[in-house]
Amino acid sequence: MNQRPETVTAQLPVVPGPVSPLRWLAKGWSDLWDNPVPGLAHGFAIAAFGWLLLWLAWDRFWLLAGAFSGFLIVAPIVATGLYHISRSRARGHRAGMGEVLALWRSGDGRLVRFGVLLALAGTGWVLTSAGLITLLSSVPIEKPVDFLRHVVLVRELGLFEIWLLMGALLAAPVFASSVMAIPILVDTTVPVSMAVAESWRTVASQPTLMTLWAVMISILAGVGMLTGLLGLIVIIPWLAHASWHAYIELAARSPYISTGD
Amino acid sequence: MENTIFGYTEGQIAQFGLTFGVGAFILYMLFIVLNLALEAKAGKFGTFILFLVLSLGMLGFVAKNVIQWILGI
Repeated sequence: MNQRPETVTAQLPVVPGPVSPLRWLAKGWSDLWDNPVPGLAHGFAIAAFGWLLLWLAWDRFWLLAGAFSGFLIVAPIVATGLYHISRSRARGHRAGMGEVLALWRSGDGRLVRFGVLLALAGTGWVLTSAGLITLLSSVPIEKPVDFLRHVVLVRELGLFEIWLLMGALLAAPVFASSVMAIPILVDTTVPVSMAVAESWRTVASQPTLMTLWAVMISILAGVGMLTGLLGLIVIIPWLAHASWHAYIELAARSPYISTGD
Repeated sequence: MENTIFGYTEGQIAQFGLTFGVGAFILYMLFIVLNLALEAKAGKFGTFILFLVLSLGMLGFVAKNVIQWILGI
């Protein structure tokens, strides 16, 4: 018999600290394997889309970089169905793929608008990074192998590090805008602007913790990429469920959000 | 015969210094940035940006070494 302790007692808000991301990951892991089919289906769909992009644009580096960046930035929107599964589990209900698809069919305009804004941010990143690499690289970068050879694998500190620092500078506002905003949009009816403002407020109130969380997400996404996208099948849904728990813990301390739980 | 110091060649020592020395230097920079953010009252969001930029930069440096190691370069 399935026991769901979350529904038995009302829990006191947990004080977020340096170990919080590990707790979110543990809860996300538990959610994933409690109801694995929707999570793994999402993970597989995302990995398969990545393989399709690789196959279509293998020889055209900037097309591949653009498609991949856009796809990774928009991926949290794709994973919103998994937030619903975590939320349902906490309420003692086991949601299936049917409910996830129903959530998709609802066509929430706020999520669509937010997804478009994220895609625009991704386009901005690709254009800026193309400009930087073209300006600073001594050889033209046209194929992925050129990027690997002349940017990533250069022994000296230089272009790759500058490129990463610039990427991180652009990623910071995107992460700050979306880390809380997407779960808020799924869980409440507030407009996009309010969800983004609350997301920034949370990040500003917990800068070290949120940096730690961003670094953990980057490490796990990087591991997923290094396994030829295979690891993403598990990592994407795991991070999605964990992100939901991050939202629940952080929102519990916010005077402005009342979570659906 | 190539000169060695404590059994290591100059190239090996340089490689060791580059990997660990730069790693330690980055950690020291993280400490400096933290102090700078506190003293300059950069605000908590500014601290987040500084931290994230430096942490991801550091992560990239490690990733570069890992990729080089995997490819045997």
